Amino acid sequence: MRLKRILYAIVTVIVAGSLFIGGLAEWRDSGTEEGRHYAGYVQRIPLVSVCYMLGAVGVICLGWYQLRLTGAVTSIATLLQDDKAGGIHHSKRFFFPLRLKKIDELYQALSKHFAGCNTRITEYEKKIKDLQVQVQLSLRRGKNTEAIIYSIRDAVIVIDESDRLLMSNEAAGQLLSFDYNSSQFKPISELIGPDRVEFVDFLSHSRQTKGQATRKEIEFSKDGTPEIFDCIVSCVYDQDKQVCGAVAVLHDITREKQIQQMKNDFVTHVSHELKTPLASISAYTEMLADGEADDEKTRKEFYSVIQNQAQRLNRLIENILNTSRIESGLIKINKEPASLAMLIEEQLQMIKGYAEEKELEVTGQKPIVYDQVYVDKDMIQEVIVNLLSNAVKYTPFGGAIKIETEVDEGAALVRVSVTDTGVGIPEDEIEHVFDKFYRVGANKKQAKGTGLGLNLVKQIVEKVHDGRVFVMSKVGVGSTFGFELPLVTRQTV
Amino acid sequence: MTDKRVLVVDDEVHIVHVVAIKLRNNGYEVISADNGAEAFELACKEKPDIIVTDFQMPVMSGMELVEKLRQCDETEDIPVIMLTARSFAISKEQQEDLRISSCLSKPFSPKELLGNIEDVLYQKQVMVSG
Repeated sequence: MRLKRILYAIVTVIVAGSLFIGGLAEWRDSGTEEGRHYAGYVQRIPLVSVCYMLGAVGVICLGWYQLRLTGAVTSIATLLQDDKAGGIHHSKRFFFPLRLKKIDELYQALSKHFAGCNTRITEYEKKIKDLQVQVQLSLRRGKNTEAIIYSIRDAVIVIDESDRLLMSNEAAGQLLSFDYNSSQFKPISELIGPDRVEFVDFLSHSRQTKGQATRKEIEFSKDGTPEIFDCIVSCVYDQDKQVCGAVAVLHDITREKQIQQMKNDFVTHVSHELKTPLASISAYTEMLADGEADDEKTRKEFYSVIQNQAQRLNRLIENILNTSRIESGLIKINKEPASLAMLIEEQLQMIKGYAEEKELEVTGQKPIVYDQVYVDKDMIQEVIVNLLSNAVKYTPFGGAIKIETEVDEGAALVRVSVTDTGVGIPEDEIEHVFDKFYRVGANKKQAKGTGLGLNLVKQIVEKVHDGRVFVMSKVGVGSTFGFELPLVTRQTV
Repeated sequence: MTDKRVLVVDDEVHIVHVVAIKLRNNGYEVISADNGAEAFELACKEKPDIIVTDFQMPVMSGMELVEKLRQCDETEDIPVIMLTARSFAISKEQQEDLRISSCLSKPFSPKELLGNIEDVLYQKQVMVSG
């Protein structure tokens, strides 16, 4: 379009110049005076023509420049029109001829545009600052998350989509035997030894399934001792909701499993323990009803057995109930001043019949030591009965049991100890004997039990009376079980 | 009256006592032991016609006793009745494998036990004479 206009301009100038020069030449050649007069001018025609030509070229250049300028302005205007912040409605309005009014309009549009640009630059600067703050926050959060993960007692492992280690904590390093600092981005199958292959397979498989969290109990062996871990693996998703890795948390449930096992054993033992006196009661009652006891002496013997077995059953139930009552703090405690030595004497008389069945020699404190404690009598009697009956239970035929009371004025306490010539407790089990449901493995066959008696002793002495229980034992020689209670003072009464 | 001899095994003296009275009143001869090991020795020595044993006992349990009895030529054919305080302690398969004639759960009826002993001894007699 522009080229066409330029060509028109050039052709117009050439045609007009040629016609003018041609006209002058004809007039000179016509022979008239005027023609000759103007011949002088004709002689100068080339000069004039050159002037015209230069003028024409000038005009063309000007036109060309204006066209260029118009083109530039049109381009800017087009750009501004495309830009929503700009303000020119139609670029063609700036087309040739370029008028001052339009330039002013353009200037205003440009000013408006640059003002908009300025505002936007300010906004962008603010956004950049906000983003920088957010980056700092994210970094800090990342470090915090890392610190939290690192301080979790459970083992935590994070892997990427290629099963390489991304993050882990100290517990994981210890459990799976690798150094986290030198292990990042290494495949977990290389880091974790073949003895933990079950875990590696589970982690990898859980990531591949891309599902919800998966859970499995995995057993690890540590120094030959089995440890059970509750392993939960959850997939990690990226922004496109694609699985980009997995996080595994391993929680040590060895202790819970042991307690579970002890509880199961307890249910088994307790049902047996409850059913045994019940079986006697039931059988003797039936015998009486069926007239199988044919003389008065036998009948009295049967009545006595029923009574004793009912008491045994009651004691057992009391043991079970008291353990849970003390634990839950529901038991009513009636403390009063009492003498431990006197309480022991009462219980000794009760246990002697049981001990005689096994031909055991039972000796008490002679002479009786004076002491005064502030206790719940029933509970302390329970403690003494439990210690004495345990001694009888675990001492073979013909053995001896000795109960002693010692007053330690300096420490302001009374110490009671029950020593037997029983089977004794292995060294590695001695620390557990007061645990609930715990029964010494080697002695399970020696006598039946619930694993509650010694725990109840500990609860009554330590939780209710602020005392202390103790035990010393040697396998094949015997055991000493005992407890200490504070001596009565004016403050405690 | 019967000349049959019954070995009663239980660590609970009262249980042994009541079973012994019931059986003696019905013409049986009763010998007793308070654990499996002692019972096995007595079984080898006295050759009882039937053994009534508790399941859970110190030193040697009732199951261990039966296993041992079945491995010994002298005692392998002695019928055994098991008393147990634990329900489902013995599976049907175990009962068949160890040829345990019947299982009674505690608390048990001495009358029922006597009935079981009579049944088992009758069956044994029929098999021997048949």
